[in-house]
Amino acid sequence: MNSVWDTEQMARRIARRNKAERRFRLLGLGAIVLSLSFLVLLLVIMLKNGLGGLDWEFLTGSDSTDASTAGIWGALKGSLLTMAVTLALSFPLGVLSAIYLEEFAPKNRWIDLVEVSINNLAAVPSIIFGLLGLAVFINTFGLPRSAPLVGGLTLALMTMPVIVISGRNAIKAVPPSIRDAALAVGASPVQTVFHHVLPLALPGILTGTIIGMARALGETAPLLMIGMRAFIATPPDGITDPASVLPMQIFLWSDEIDRAFVQNTSAAIIVLLVFLLAMNGLAIYLRNKFEVRW
Amino acid sequence: MTDTPKMSARNVDVYYGAKQAIDDVSIDIDTGHVTAFIGPSGCGKSTFLRSLNRMNDTIPIARVTGEIDLDGEDISRMDPVQLRARVGMVFQKPNPFPKSIYENVAYGPRIHGVAAGKAEMDEIVEKSLSRAGLWEEVRDRLSDAGTALSGGQQQRLCIARAIAVSPEVILMDEPCSALDPIATARIEELIDELKERYAIVIVTHSMQQAARVSQKTAFFHLGKMVEYGDTSDLFTNPQQERTKDYITGRYG
Amino acid sequence: MTFVLILLVALGLVGWFVARGRARLMYTGRGSLAATPNYHGWHMALWTIVPALAAWGVWLSIEPGLIENAVLQDPAAAQLPESPMERATVLGEARNLANNPDAGFFNPLSVQLAEPMREAQTRYDIYGAIVVLLFGFIGGAYAYTRIKAAFPARTRVERGVMLVLLVASLVAILTTFGIVASLVYETGLFFAEVSPIDFLLGTHWSPANATGPDMGDSFGAIPLFWGTLYIGAVIAMIVAIPLGLMSAIYLTQYADLRVRKWLKPALEILAGVPTVVYGYFAALTVAPMIRDLAASAGYQNPSTESALAAGLVMGVMIIPFVSSMADDSIAAVPQSMRDGSLAMGATQSETIKKVLIPAALPGIVAGVMLAISRAIGETMIVVMAAGAAANLSVDPLESMTTVTYQIVQLLTGDQEFDSAKTLSAFALGLVLFVVTLILNIIALRVVKRFREAYE
Repeated sequence: MNSVWDTEQMARRIARRNKAERRFRLLGLGAIVLSLSFLVLLLVIMLKNGLGGLDWEFLTGSDSTDASTAGIWGALKGSLLTMAVTLALSFPLGVLSAIYLEEFAPKNRWIDLVEVSINNLAAVPSIIFGLLGLAVFINTFGLPRSAPLVGGLTLALMTMPVIVISGRNAIKAVPPSIRDAALAVGASPVQTVFHHVLPLALPGILTGTIIGMARALGETAPLLMIGMRAFIATPPDGITDPASVLPMQIFLWSDEIDRAFVQNTSAAIIVLLVFLLAMNGLAIYLRNKFEVRW
Repeated sequence: MTDTPKMSARNVDVYYGAKQAIDDVSIDIDTGHVTAFIGPSGCGKSTFLRSLNRMNDTIPIARVTGEIDLDGEDISRMDPVQLRARVGMVFQKPNPFPKSIYENVAYGPRIHGVAAGKAEMDEIVEKSLSRAGLWEEVRDRLSDAGTALSGGQQQRLCIARAIAVSPEVILMDEPCSALDPIATARIEELIDELKERYAIVIVTHSMQQAARVSQKTAFFHLGKMVEYGDTSDLFTNPQQERTKDYITGRYG
Repeated sequence: MTFVLILLVALGLVGWFVARGRARLMYTGRGSLAATPNYHGWHMALWTIVPALAAWGVWLSIEPGLIENAVLQDPAAAQLPESPMERATVLGEARNLANNPDAGFFNPLSVQLAEPMREAQTRYDIYGAIVVLLFGFIGGAYAYTRIKAAFPARTRVERGVMLVLLVASLVAILTTFGIVASLVYETGLFFAEVSPIDFLLGTHWSPANATGPDMGDSFGAIPLFWGTLYIGAVIAMIVAIPLGLMSAIYLTQYADLRVRKWLKPALEILAGVPTVVYGYFAALTVAPMIRDLAASAGYQNPSTESALAAGLVMGVMIIPFVSSMADDSIAAVPQSMRDGSLAMGATQSETIKKVLIPAALPGIVAGVMLAISRAIGETMIVVMAAGAAANLSVDPLESMTTVTYQIVQLLTGDQEFDSAKTLSAFALGLVLFVVTLILNIIALRVVKRFREAYE
């Protein structure tokens, strides 16, 4: 028997170490519980303040100076139009550049520059995209201010890198043996990618796209820059009409002095969160349903 | 004390989830010689080795039943911290910590608080490195990163690290599989020297290595221990058909 | 124009079927065609649509000029004001009236011009449609003549596809270029009026009353930089680093698989909550709470807007970010390190503190850098909770302002473009862009080297 371990002193030391172990473990649990309790607090406060204001009138009305008649349909429609523009641009562009970078791009300086660009764009603060939209789309191209067209364009530039990165990961996850099999039966590289690789990568790409769109839907700062903060009492009819979006409506109402708008703001937040939750839920569902383990 | 073996296992089963990896293994291991576990890959020899110092505890789905004793004491009732200090382990791939050579060896004594001061720690580090046959090579660069050493040196550093806490048993899980023949020979010499002080258990896929370094050999197949005996007997005169097939190279 | 687009697609479709049908007729047996009939169809469809689309794009860019010229020929246009800016305003109003008779206007002249404007628009729309369709026919006809048994339609189509892919991937460079160019250009205009030294080193910020030659004194951005760093890199990180790191440790090292499966997505919800919601939460709940606490602790007149409220909520928002970066870094440390330490008899927490964290440190540091970059670029929380006062203070209960807050402030008022005030927003944007870019590049490089070290 090894004598070192038999001493009173060593037994005490081990007891102390085990206590420290339990303390550390509790600290970790405490950190995560504390973080989540912030989330719970936020949700509870919004539900408490806003649930009473959620009715049919609120969902179908448009902005008004009177809190009791103000609704969110105008802003919601603005959001939908903006998202439509964003999706129509960022999805094809994102997927196509992901394909190019992952499957066909030669190794050279230009391609390195593209990769660096994409990785950095994904981390550029959103407000910078707003400045770009203001300087380029509005002041240089003369597109209409406050319109879903410009908002959608700006958000598309912001969302595209997210789609490219998730798309590349999805394409990378398709095993090379699939490509080899297709090439070996005489398919051209383009056919291999479009017939075999892309369909297999699609669930992953869609998941990334939905997550990117959810982020765009909750974005406010860049849209402030391009003037989508106007008071819009009638829902926009097209992508060039002045419009507001849901998060912007929340921001505008939060500034109102009238306490009655607290309910409206919280109710609008609930609606926005429901949308985001639904989108993220769909993304998780897609991932779980179609994820293939190679 | 000579009548109780250093470690003994009785009716040990190991499960990974629903899959049984070890089926009813009983074995005694003694100080003063090297015990080798051999067998085809996937036969459970490494799994069994990892249950001797309860490293299987770190795999959430693993479950060990049966009894394993160290000096007659059931290890499942021991503190894993104390158990692992007494039963050291060397892994397949050298895994020095990303710290200096000195800190790698001092890590164990430090966490267990066995050194009283800097001088004593220096002494432990030097003694451990010397026993692992590495002292002459690294004495001038103890503050270099452990990961900067060659593969064979790294593995000897890991052995030094293990013996720094004065274990009673050293488990070695294919310690030479990532090394070249010269480094392997060096480790084998070392094992031969170390067996005087420690009970050593080595898992190996190489029958030649088992024959060279061990005095006792256990042959594992499909989660069962098929045969256990003196190495010389087992290789020259196997009792079981499956053992004979394996050592004559019919499968493996 | 929508009609033209539909027509174009229809034309392409017709081209597809015609070419495919013709190629099918040429089929005389195995190997008699160099490409399958479908590819001939695609070849012709592309030739029908792509040149026409290009023509359409060109037309769209020159059409407004043509229409304006036509409108200026109108006798009523003689009364247009001289100054180009007012002219553009009136013409803009006329354009709105032409599209929508109910649109509002300020200048009655625009009513007179609305009719000629509508006329010119219709006329040029028709011309445009003709041009576009013409290109469609010419392209289609060219492709039709190429349908031969030996024609490698597939190679040609694939070459076109590659071109499209390449162009798509260049959009990212174009965006980066656009950001840099517009920020640098506007900043250049700003620096023509205010010296960069005054801007970067001045300590007084009050663009609202900036006039005259001493304007530079009102554009000292140091208080903004300080507020940004104090809120984003100090207060927010004091909240986010310990909570995020410990959460990651608990999730990766202690929580069993079932618990982890629920806790991790729950934590990620925190990252998915829009910033405007956090801003509202900060303004509605956190800031008053902090104010009341400060008041009860004996502070004189604590303000509702405080750096602490904004920083705290921002920190909460960043927790999942730090946690997932730490999670990745710890997961990248090889299992053998962990086993090595545990096999020495180290407890789990000793292994984490003495082996895993030191080994994962580069990744964790890079993650914190990315988190800071995100925090200092965050806008809505500070707009709603931090305040407008440019204070140089270390008291977290004071109101402080940030770079992003001022950008919003400067660009959402009703001032004309090109004033020093609005231009300064772009200068602030440039500083923000450069700082976050540097942080990101360093962090990504550290992460990359760290990953390679363990592969």
